[in-house]
Amino acid sequence: MAIHYEGNVLKRKSYGADIHPVISDYAAQFKAGKLNRRDFIQSATRLGMSAGAAFAITGVTPSRQILAATPKKGGDFRVSMNVKDASDPAIYDWSEKGNVARHMCEPLVQIDANNIARPHLAAGWRASNDLKTWTFKLREGVTWSNGDSFGADDVVATVRRWLDPKTGSSNQGRFAAMTTLIDTGKIDKHGKPEKSRVARAGAVEKVDDHTVRFHLARPDLSLPESFADYPALITHRRFAEDGANLMKNPIGTGAFKLKQFAVGEKAVLDKRRDSPYWGGDIYLDRITYIDHGDDPAAEIGALASGQVDANYQSSVEQVDTIRSLPNLNLLEMVTAQTGIARMKVTAQPFNNKNIRKAVQACVDHDRILAIVYRGLGAVAEDHHVAPIHPEYAALPKLRQDYAAAHRYLAAAGRPNGIKLTIDCVANPAWEQNVCKALVEMCKPAGIQISINIMPGGSYWDRWMTTPFGFTSWTHRALGVQVLNLAYRSGVAWNETSYANPAFDALLDQAGGVTDANDRRMVMAQAEAMLQDDAIISQSFWRSVFVAANKRVHGLYPHVALEHHFNKVWLA
Amino acid sequence: MLSFVLRRLGAMALTMLVVSAVVFGLMELIPGNVATMVLGPYASDEQKNIWLSTNGYLEPAWCRYGVWLANFMQGDFGHSIRFKVPVGDVLWPRLGRTAILGVSALAVIVPLSLTMGVLAGMREGSIIDRLISVIGIVTTSIPEFASAVFLTGIFVFWLQWLPGASTMSDGFEAVQLVLPVLVLVLYDFGYIARMTRASMIDVIATPYIRTAILKGLPRRQVILRHAFRNALIAPFTVIMLQINWLLSGVIVVEFFFAYKGFGALLLEAALNRDVFVIEACAMIAVFVAVATQALADIGYAFLNPRIRFGSAD
Repeated sequence: MAIHYEGNVLKRKSYGADIHPVISDYAAQFKAGKLNRRDFIQSATRLGMSAGAAFAITGVTPSRQILAATPKKGGDFRVSMNVKDASDPAIYDWSEKGNVARHMCEPLVQIDANNIARPHLAAGWRASNDLKTWTFKLREGVTWSNGDSFGADDVVATVRRWLDPKTGSSNQGRFAAMTTLIDTGKIDKHGKPEKSRVARAGAVEKVDDHTVRFHLARPDLSLPESFADYPALITHRRFAEDGANLMKNPIGTGAFKLKQFAVGEKAVLDKRRDSPYWGGDIYLDRITYIDHGDDPAAEIGALASGQVDANYQSSVEQVDTIRSLPNLNLLEMVTAQTGIARMKVTAQPFNNKNIRKAVQACVDHDRILAIVYRGLGAVAEDHHVAPIHPEYAALPKLRQDYAAAHRYLAAAGRPNGIKLTIDCVANPAWEQNVCKALVEMCKPAGIQISINIMPGGSYWDRWMTTPFGFTSWTHRALGVQVLNLAYRSGVAWNETSYANPAFDALLDQAGGVTDANDRRMVMAQAEAMLQDDAIISQSFWRSVFVAANKRVHGLYPHVALEHHFNKVWLA
Repeated sequence: MLSFVLRRLGAMALTMLVVSAVVFGLMELIPGNVATMVLGPYASDEQKNIWLSTNGYLEPAWCRYGVWLANFMQGDFGHSIRFKVPVGDVLWPRLGRTAILGVSALAVIVPLSLTMGVLAGMREGSIIDRLISVIGIVTTSIPEFASAVFLTGIFVFWLQWLPGASTMSDGFEAVQLVLPVLVLVLYDFGYIARMTRASMIDVIATPYIRTAILKGLPRRQVILRHAFRNALIAPFTVIMLQINWLLSGVIVVEFFFAYKGFGALLLEAALNRDVFVIEACAMIAVFVAVATQALADIGYAFLNPRIRFGSAD
């Protein structure tokens, strides 16, 4: 791909179009030292520049391109991970489901080891100057495992299905800019007109057999990253008609095909041999997922005795054990994964902002990170934007302030304190440990919190409805992505029921600002607004850990715990 | 004998009916929507209602119970919402695996504990008696989750002799059974050994044993032919009760070693509100409990000729 400067403007030829005009500004800022390398690469690739080209401008070789040894072909890569029902990618609610399916069904975009969005089934993309029209060129020569050619029809059918409210896909929130609210003509149980969110007319357009265009109602900078999220796997154009069940009808474009699948036990994927894989050499012959249940003892035992080669993730409590085992490597990645003690603004007593502010004022964020997670992460600031997000804006540090907590309680009419109950899951342990720390920190202010520890199945049945709950959130590459998903009014995963038009407007604005520094100024306002409304108490961003046998090569811990095994090999 | 069996079968059917109704009722009392479990937390209300209606969940509870009962009596256990397959497809293999674990454990526990119990009971107060009693008390008082950790620490992490997980994911491997069986044996053998010991001490003290010794029979013959069979009566009932424990009481061991058996299935089903799997597991558990009790009664009569079935003779 040709990249060159003409005068002061950076030029690149990409399927007949020049690069997005803003990228040359980014390059100039990078060269002037105003933009760091990571921010430059993230910003440029988001607007359609290939990661290789972006890295070339910075003069750095991306780490995954460095291969220390000659890969060896063959072998069964055995991974310990919960095997959950993975019938329909559109309604996946766990990364584990996406991990099994991703070896068969692939996304348009993938977030790589450097937290950078790379084209996958897409060959590339280009955004219009106003970021409202995105054209995705699809990779040619890709075949489905049933022999059909992959093309625009598959992408159009898949995306339309995501946007259909009957599907119940969280992708509707991810791609909210392609949807609109309509009146159904019905009245709901509260006597209000019933609304339904549906795809905007003409939102998804097939340009030709290998080009798809998306028309957005508002600018959305995170569109490529949204296409990389785990429920955004592209299924065959007849997926819905064929029963919408990937486990029974496993048709995919990926390098592997499903051989065996049993919920709670194992999933086996064999290398496809019907046609050459578009992504080049695949080294593994087989991937086997083995479910060791929820007791970490079985998994660590299996790793120690070589029954499995790697795991999905290790808890912070296991770090020392893994380091002490001679056959294992501990892989660590700083992420934007986190857990939030979130308060539902529509439920008693959290509909009173002073109560929420009182809880927030009791928390010493640094101390919770140190006690619960051994300091292996970064301190969070109650606004769900991480320092590793490119648009992160630093706000004044939050401090534990019991005097303020007493003031807020008095203002809420509870000068003598209040009793609260927080729901949380039993596993992983760090989640309930944060709650325990929260309980102790709130006591001096007179806030008595009891913890309702429940199994995962029970918690996830009520995570959207409980007044006070502790929810873990996975990594997302951009701050605006997670804010759109969790805090925009009325979206599927808005567990706090926060509905603030001013905040939504700031999100719209942030999604349309291409300049990293300008966007950071908008985000500073959004962060401050979220922090001030005190709907969440967020203590820290956690590192994730993966244990892998020393014979495993080419494996990297992914920021969102996604499994990309196409270049993994076993010595 | 026939009337005994018929009475037992009747009692079994009645117990199963009551247990199934109680389990069904309890599942109804748990708050939350089954459709959320199946379709995920992000499904729309419209989608959940369609699922509930298609699967008959909008019918009243007694009506659904009636349908389930009728199907169950015809051998149809229903469909698992977690595993997405008919309940039988997941239940029978899991039960088979627990049977393997249980039989393996019993195959060690029974000979070991009977031998230890007899050795200890033969000479009450001897060093060997004290030693066996102390070991038995110590191992029985260590809960399974603790001994599982100790044994894993020794045999998996330190000596590296045994595999740490027992998923049997590549088919049956006897070596993967060693640690779960060892944990069960450690926990259980002391109890049966002490029962046998107590029973043996009672028998040794009886006049007919004294007579046998006084008439000059070799000690070996006295123990094996006269004392042992009578001393077996109490431990036999206890051993039969262990079968029940090995079915559903091994949840801790199965969970710890990721052994995909009946106990683990019951736990998973309970955590996921998989009502038909829970019902099927409960029915199996009741069946095994009542059946082992009946077997214990029959065996008891065989060992103790003073007990006879029925009232006619």
